[in-house]
Amino acid sequence: MAENVFSWLDERLGLKAIYDTILDRKVPKVNWWFTLGSASLFLGIMQGITGMLLSVYYVPTPDHAYDSITFIMTGVQFGWLIRGIHHWGASLLILTAFIHMLRVFFYGAYKYPREFTWITGVGLLISALGMGFTGYLLPWNQRSYWATTVGSEIAGTVPWVGDFILRTLRGGTNLSALTLSRFFSLHIWIFPAIILATVGTHLYLVIRLGISHIPDKDS
Amino acid sequence: MNEEQKQKYKQKYDQAKQNGVKFWPDIIYKDLLVSFAFFILLIGLAAFVGVAIEPKADPSDSTYVPRPEWYFLFLFEFLKFVPGKIEWMGTFVLPVIGVLVLFALPFLDRNPLRHWKNRLTGVSIMGVVVLGMVGLTIRSVITTPKNEEGFVANTPAGKMILGGELYGIYCVECHGPDGEGGVIAGVEGMEGVELKPISSRDEMYTRSDETLGAIIEYGQQDLGMPPFGLAYGGELKKSELDAMVFFMRYTWDDRAELPADAASAGAIPNLAENEIPSYEVHISKIIQRYCISCHRPGKENNNYLMGTYQEILTTGDNAANNLLAGDMTSYLIQAINGESIFDESGEEIIQQMPPTKLMKEEYISIFENWVLNGMPETAADAEVLTVEVTAEE
Repeated sequence: MAENVFSWLDERLGLKAIYDTILDRKVPKVNWWFTLGSASLFLGIMQGITGMLLSVYYVPTPDHAYDSITFIMTGVQFGWLIRGIHHWGASLLILTAFIHMLRVFFYGAYKYPREFTWITGVGLLISALGMGFTGYLLPWNQRSYWATTVGSEIAGTVPWVGDFILRTLRGGTNLSALTLSRFFSLHIWIFPAIILATVGTHLYLVIRLGISHIPDKDS
Repeated sequence: MNEEQKQKYKQKYDQAKQNGVKFWPDIIYKDLLVSFAFFILLIGLAAFVGVAIEPKADPSDSTYVPRPEWYFLFLFEFLKFVPGKIEWMGTFVLPVIGVLVLFALPFLDRNPLRHWKNRLTGVSIMGVVVLGMVGLTIRSVITTPKNEEGFVANTPAGKMILGGELYGIYCVECHGPDGEGGVIAGVEGMEGVELKPISSRDEMYTRSDETLGAIIEYGQQDLGMPPFGLAYGGELKKSELDAMVFFMRYTWDDRAELPADAASAGAIPNLAENEIPSYEVHISKIIQRYCISCHRPGKENNNYLMGTYQEILTTGDNAANNLLAGDMTSYLIQAINGESIFDESGEEIIQQMPPTKLMKEEYISIFENWVLNGMPETAADAEVLTVEVTAEE
């Protein structure tokens, strides 16, 4: 029975081919540092899931953002767990991705033929920092308000276009409801879309080229 | 990299693959193990460390020391070393160069060798940069002053307590302990002005929380009410204004219903039968609502301060007579019973207290009971007395 179901699905989906190309292939023997890429992916998926759950109760307006998070933390079943994972997962993701990058650097894995994998990786790191910066404002507490005030002021010091960037980020001269909705939109739509596409490319390349091997002394 | 080098690399990589393992299950199994460890770590952090509670954003409170997320701290700290005139070098030019170098790394580094011993320059540059980032981050954590960790009232009970305290301090001298208004007595500059009640249905049903907050924040300056919000020169932060409005709404608005635990949190406790009141449990709560608004520094009060147990016993022009254990002629007891105190020349030195309207019978008798029993400070002191009294009976 199970065999029949499998072969019916395989005939249509090509499961066997997927298994052969992705799972059943030889790769070099590597050490534990090589697990940090997939750990970053796992943390990213966790951020996605907990983020979606948080968006059920979170309200992105200055009047309600703070109270909606207080409600998530105190009134929603396991809300504290979901928010806690999202909060700590963000820091852990940045840390893991950064160490992953250092590992790639140390083994020279960004060299031929993986130059493009490296470029997508740098793009992912910067997008993750963007997620951190925009997500920091969303709780609308003192810490996030003043960090974003200073952060956007820094963007405002860019020569010639600084003032334009500052106004675009804030949606005016001061932090307001517009700033919050812009950051929210960046945080849940724009950055995730960029990240999804880039992660897709990154993974495709990792599978196509195979993971790098640990270089020996004369290479 | 030329063709020959490429071929050489491919050869080596193929050999490494030959001697390697299967992606499934060898690699996947390690990956799953590490991811699972991270999962446990996350749950542990969420459960045992949690997320720090911060006060709500308050644009008027600029005393807050801004600090970004920890992974931006190194940049934040780095900017302190960049002179103001060329600030844009630190905020824009260098970060952009850093990012571009990172992106272009595979093309900038033309060395075909991969082992770190053969790439000492590159590895040392990266090492110095990473150490610098770590060092700057640590320096930033050490040098940035901590924000005062004030009490953050974000539960209903917490808001009731904080709001009640603040109402007692800032509002009672004019609006009365229950928002009943009336003719103001004993307040500089407002003597004899009559205020309408602020706790009535008319008020509560027709003013939103936002309006109430705005009134406290900006005041009603043409009518004599000063601004209390930081934004207009007062002393109160947004979160404190919120707590006051919350307290008013849930105390006076008969449509608003509070969970029982929160409702009792800020209330003045009742006295059980045979219970001897203590400063800690009863007296301080009554003082907070009825007295502290005038009996605090900077008010006209014969220098009688009522902020702490020590203060109520030892301060004031009439400290010697204000409170005498077991003595019903203590000035305080006479005043709260509506009697004025006169000096030898017949001049009134103390008027009835509170000046506009006496407290509820119940509270007056708590004060009398407390003085008769020697004015115990803590609940434990009072407990000892209660036991003694019961034993004598």
